[in-house]
Amino acid sequence: MTKGWQLTLALILLGLFTLFYQGLWGDPRHIPTVLIGTDAPNFEGPDVETGQTISLAQFKGKVILLNFWASWCYECKVEHESILQLHQLFKDNPDFVMLGVNYQDKLSDAQQYLQQYGTTFPHVRDIKGQLAIDYGVYGVPETFVIDQQGKIRHKWVGPITGMVYTNLTQKVIAPLLNSQPTTTTS
Amino acid sequence: MRIRFTLCLAVLLAAPFPLFAAVQDETDIDIQVREIAKTLRCTVCQTENIWESGAPLAQQMRGVIRERLALGHSTEEIRAYFLSRYGDYILMEPPKHGVNWLIWVAPFLLLLIGGFFLYKEVTHWVRETPTPPSQPLPPLDDQARKRIERELES
Repeated sequence: MTKGWQLTLALILLGLFTLFYQGLWGDPRHIPTVLIGTDAPNFEGPDVETGQTISLAQFKGKVILLNFWASWCYECKVEHESILQLHQLFKDNPDFVMLGVNYQDKLSDAQQYLQQYGTTFPHVRDIKGQLAIDYGVYGVPETFVIDQQGKIRHKWVGPITGMVYTNLTQKVIAPLLNSQPTTTTS
Repeated sequence: MRIRFTLCLAVLLAAPFPLFAAVQDETDIDIQVREIAKTLRCTVCQTENIWESGAPLAQQMRGVIRERLALGHSTEEIRAYFLSRYGDYILMEPPKHGVNWLIWVAPFLLLLIGGFFLYKEVTHWVRETPTPPSQPLPPLDDQARKRIERELES
């Protein structure tokens, strides 16, 4: 085998090894979303605590944070304090709305969870899972930010803690509330 | 003995009928749900389609397919809906465009490259293997010739 062919073979093997290595260390939960910049699907559902119907359309023109969660989800418990903190930070802004979406859960479990860990914002029940599928959700927690024009501007898969929290509040929500649109994704 | 044999035979012959009945009970929508669900990946299972998966999300996705079929949506419209929510990842078979072509072509390309290198190596070995010089066989002596003739005659 000539040196040229040996070099070609070595390069092919190196390329394959790089792909394998990248796949080995990549986050299997990270699936690129196709929803950024698209219209946020409208939905209607009962409030977990009161049973009253909540619709996304009623918050038109506001910056909306949607947080998908479930009582059986460990990472949802991990992020719960930060989520409450985030609401505390923006709740006085009339252009900001925060909604929880309870996903694949029993109503009693969801209600008990909210009583135990506390909540300061409404939560919609996704009874049939249609809402989650409309938002391309494949696990919880997942968080979406919708801008004043009703477009999905940001999606994050996993708990909102640490740097993720800082990035979400300072680089996504605050600029949107100050009408400085950004397009970011997880 | 004969009664037992007849009973066994009756059970064996009757066994396929419930299965046949189950297949007959499958409506057109059931068949369409199955065909569509088989082409969509269960996003929480990674290697299963949503027809085979028992995950709650897969069950809900099957429900969405059924609802949309009942509303009169076509197979392509339903697949397009899931594609618009989850991207190419939702499809069990990656669509043949852009960088996806690599997935389809790479195995054959690697096979060709491997075959080429194998061919080159084998021809190289054949060329380098020394062929033994052909030498004329020594003539048979009388004793050996007689022995062969004896053995042929016996």
